[in-house]
Amino acid sequence: MKNVTMALAGNPNSGKTTIFNNLTGARQKVGNWPGVTVEKKEGTLKRDGYHLKIVDLPGTYSLTPFSIEEIAARDFILDEKPDVVVNIIDAANLERSLYLAMQIMELDRPVVFALNMADLARSKGISIDAERLSMLLDVPVIFTVGNRDQGMDELVETAIQAAESFPMGTSGRKVKYNREIESLISELKTVLQENFQGHHPHPVRWTAIKLLESDQVVKKSLEELSPELEKEMTQLAARSRFRLETIFHDDPEIVLTDDRYGFIAGIVKEVVTLSPRKRADMSRNIDLVLTNRFLGFPIFIFFIWAMFQLTFSLGAYPMGWIESGVSFLSGRLDLLLAPGLLKDLFLDGIVAGIGSVIVFLPNILILFFCIALFEDTGYMARTAFLMDRVMHMVGLHGKSFIPMLMGFGCNVPAIMATRSLENRKDRILTILITPFMSCSARLPVYIILAGTFFGSRAGSVIFGLYFTGIVVAIASGRLFRSTLLRGQDAPFVMELPPYRVPMLKSLMIHMWDRSKMFLKKMGGVILVGSIIIWALSTFPRLENYSMDYEGDIERINNQAEIALSGAGGDGSGGMPQEMVAKISELERLRSQEQVEHSFIGGMGRAMEPLFAPLGIDWRSGVALVTGLVAKEVVVSTMGVLYGIGDGESDALKAALKKSGMTPLTALSMMVFVLLYVPCLATIFAIWRETSAGWACFNLLYTTSMAWVASFLLYQGGVILGFG
Amino acid sequence: MNNRHEQEKKQFKQLFQKEGVDAFEKRFKVLDCFLKIEQHVTCREITDQLKIDGNPMDTEFVEETMKFLCRFGFAHMVQFEDGPRRYEHRHLGMHHDHMVCVKCGDILEFKDEVLEKKQAHVAAAYGFHMLQHRMEIYGICSKCLKSRELMMPLCRARQGETCIIKSFSGGRRAQMRLSSMGLRYGDAIEVVSSQGGGQMVVATGDSRFAICHGLAEKILVQHAPPEMDADTPLTHGHGPGRLPGRKISLSDMKQGQEGVIVRVGGEGTLRRRLLEMGINRGTHIYVEKYAPLKDPLEIIVKGYHVSLRVEEAANIMVEDVQSVKHP
Repeated sequence: MKNVTMALAGNPNSGKTTIFNNLTGARQKVGNWPGVTVEKKEGTLKRDGYHLKIVDLPGTYSLTPFSIEEIAARDFILDEKPDVVVNIIDAANLERSLYLAMQIMELDRPVVFALNMADLARSKGISIDAERLSMLLDVPVIFTVGNRDQGMDELVETAIQAAESFPMGTSGRKVKYNREIESLISELKTVLQENFQGHHPHPVRWTAIKLLESDQVVKKSLEELSPELEKEMTQLAARSRFRLETIFHDDPEIVLTDDRYGFIAGIVKEVVTLSPRKRADMSRNIDLVLTNRFLGFPIFIFFIWAMFQLTFSLGAYPMGWIESGVSFLSGRLDLLLAPGLLKDLFLDGIVAGIGSVIVFLPNILILFFCIALFEDTGYMARTAFLMDRVMHMVGLHGKSFIPMLMGFGCNVPAIMATRSLENRKDRILTILITPFMSCSARLPVYIILAGTFFGSRAGSVIFGLYFTGIVVAIASGRLFRSTLLRGQDAPFVMELPPYRVPMLKSLMIHMWDRSKMFLKKMGGVILVGSIIIWALSTFPRLENYSMDYEGDIERINNQAEIALSGAGGDGSGGMPQEMVAKISELERLRSQEQVEHSFIGGMGRAMEPLFAPLGIDWRSGVALVTGLVAKEVVVSTMGVLYGIGDGESDALKAALKKSGMTPLTALSMMVFVLLYVPCLATIFAIWRETSAGWACFNLLYTTSMAWVASFLLYQGGVILGFG
Repeated sequence: MNNRHEQEKKQFKQLFQKEGVDAFEKRFKVLDCFLKIEQHVTCREITDQLKIDGNPMDTEFVEETMKFLCRFGFAHMVQFEDGPRRYEHRHLGMHHDHMVCVKCGDILEFKDEVLEKKQAHVAAAYGFHMLQHRMEIYGICSKCLKSRELMMPLCRARQGETCIIKSFSGGRRAQMRLSSMGLRYGDAIEVVSSQGGGQMVVATGDSRFAICHGLAEKILVQHAPPEMDADTPLTHGHGPGRLPGRKISLSDMKQGQEGVIVRVGGEGTLRRRLLEMGINRGTHIYVEKYAPLKDPLEIIVKGYHVSLRVEEAANIMVEDVQSVKHP
């Protein structure tokens, strides 16, 4: 079994990830805009006695050292030295794709060209002479149609062949620059070769070219190797650059780029023929409507509205099923388990906690499905196109809109999606304000509270909350932009890929990937959180209740038994309704007393002064604190604290009403939930993407904002007489 | 007019008799003929006219007479650029300036009060007491302008003219010579100098070419529109029709226009991004549309769609802008 490492490189939207999926069978995102495949994904494939490790490099347009994706891709090829690099090229975009291809070839690893989406190119009237291209550039060239799984075998075989024949062969014909540049490259090469004498870490010609381009990353790595050499090379490079500037009246990078494009143009002319009969460009026609001056926005708003509408109305059905499922389960467990601590743990801790959250899974699935639909069809890029002007006014990017939109689903993947923003300041800014886009986890709280206290107007109230979140986000964005994160905007230049009919399979994969994150949160964080909260509310155990609950319940049970045995003796009938209700009531009162006595009760009482000005009682206050773990936990904590053991939202609603909450306090609570610190998972995501400092800042900022907003709302309401 | 002429004739008689100038009768005929011709005439033309009228005379004699006439204030000699001496009526107190058509030779008289006053002001501003002045404008008269729409061979263009290459009437080899110089249809060229039947020197952009007469004959050009001048700074770029040689920024282009990029500016990051997206010098671009909020705009370059902000597009200079139906 021979080991071969194969790297997949290419432009974004070239179908690289589809091919990766085909080859490795692994689950991947297939997004239509840059930044979705940011991490290196690896997979394996066994074929013909070879064990292939396949690495999916980030999609880039070039290999400059100016964005993390490009650096990651470049470093992998330079340092890991894969046995073969397969360049996935969009056959309809050969000219631009070759810009990256030529740079990859300069890295001196064996290269194979895969002209992907060959079917689309053909339908556009573009035909490429693969043989000629192969001959001109001295690389193997094959055709593939990724989303029909065609050409995969050929690709693997060709790649293996290229890897095997490398030591003897070359890595393709490289760009030949003009005479001036070539002579300068030679000069630099000579010095480098003298110093390294065959032990150069990186290809010498490439290093020389990078020095001419004043590549900082290369300079640094050279410096680490040998500072004296780096100094010498920098001087030599600076002289060469000056020479180029004088001769060509332009930046050396521009001169080199021009030469590259000239070289490429020459190749393209020889290899590509456009047939005169071109079919209508479907994508353009669609865009005539979707980005139309008058229709564009209404349609966009319609799509967003439809997405949320679908999420809630369609999601209502499965929601109901899950609810009944959960209560059925808890009913069974109730009968099966012997009374005691373990039973309580299961029923009141685990089932109650998770039950109250899992009920919202359908909503989340649908939401992520819609977002996946936007991405896979290519509409996401259009949203950035439409929204850039507005985003720009806030000091953000059109590209920021997409992560912020995803924030409506879940903040964790939204924050990860900000990697598509090249500028660090832009990224931090977007990350800081994304949590204000009310995530789907906060939704259960709104639904319960708004549903209970605002009845038929619940929908509008919830919409109002979302809207408030957006407003606060924009205001914060502007504030940060002009104070903490001053600086230049990153360029907006972005490709609008052609519309594609998404494959259902890839939509599902896409949706499932995101939902998986949500489920992991539940299985992990929420489960643990539920148990902790249950524990905090169960201990210390109350021995002496105010009423003899046990006694009363025993009595009612006995009465029921007598009545049943008297009536027919089959014992299988249930207790009469009033008795069941009475028992429930007693149990509820008992657990409520217990909770008040417990740790969490103590915590709640201690924090009461903090929450009182906001109109939030201690139980809700505690629920809010537990929301740090995950926002869904707010609901489950409330479930526990208000003494509901079976996850039925109706029961919770009733309990809330009884507890003395009013519409105003409910609203105050919802606003607090909207604005305050996002869940731990999000905080960790922020920490990972930016720094601990920013994560803390976010925590403090959001919580204080929430407190102030709720305060103003509640006190204002009281003054106005809504109290 | 006729009265004046009568007056002048009388004055002529008086003056000439007083001065005792000889051959009075003949000179009178010259005057008569001169006065009849309401144009700026050369001696030759007067002589010819006299011949036609049945009064043949020596050119020298006519010349001499004209000199006398000038001395006495009946005629005024003007000599336009490189041309022969011409004479015009000197109606006392009626100063006028001239416009000369370099194509047909037509001489237009004009008098503009504002101009005259301005001249006096300018002189006064310099503390200069103006006695007299003479102003000549050289150009192409309206008649010639109308007949200009047609193409003409480059060799017939005048020095200083800017023309657009419209067509080529030569064989393959000549065509190749032309393209090897980098001259394409639609290119604007300025005639730097031209000599009769010899070489021409033309300029396009920054390059100068010497074109032999033979080739210049085969290059068919059209005059560039009046606003077109390689040196005038451009204030706006909206215009139908082709405007080659004129550079406008991408942000000034309208929906449905296409052009060729001549320069990609912008600071480091932006420029790099543009270049790696295939937006570089020499690339054709087509403006597909502007977003509903007028920003950003969408262009088609190298066969795919790219969107960029208006402020970013302002860094890209484009030429050869024209409106097209399809990209």
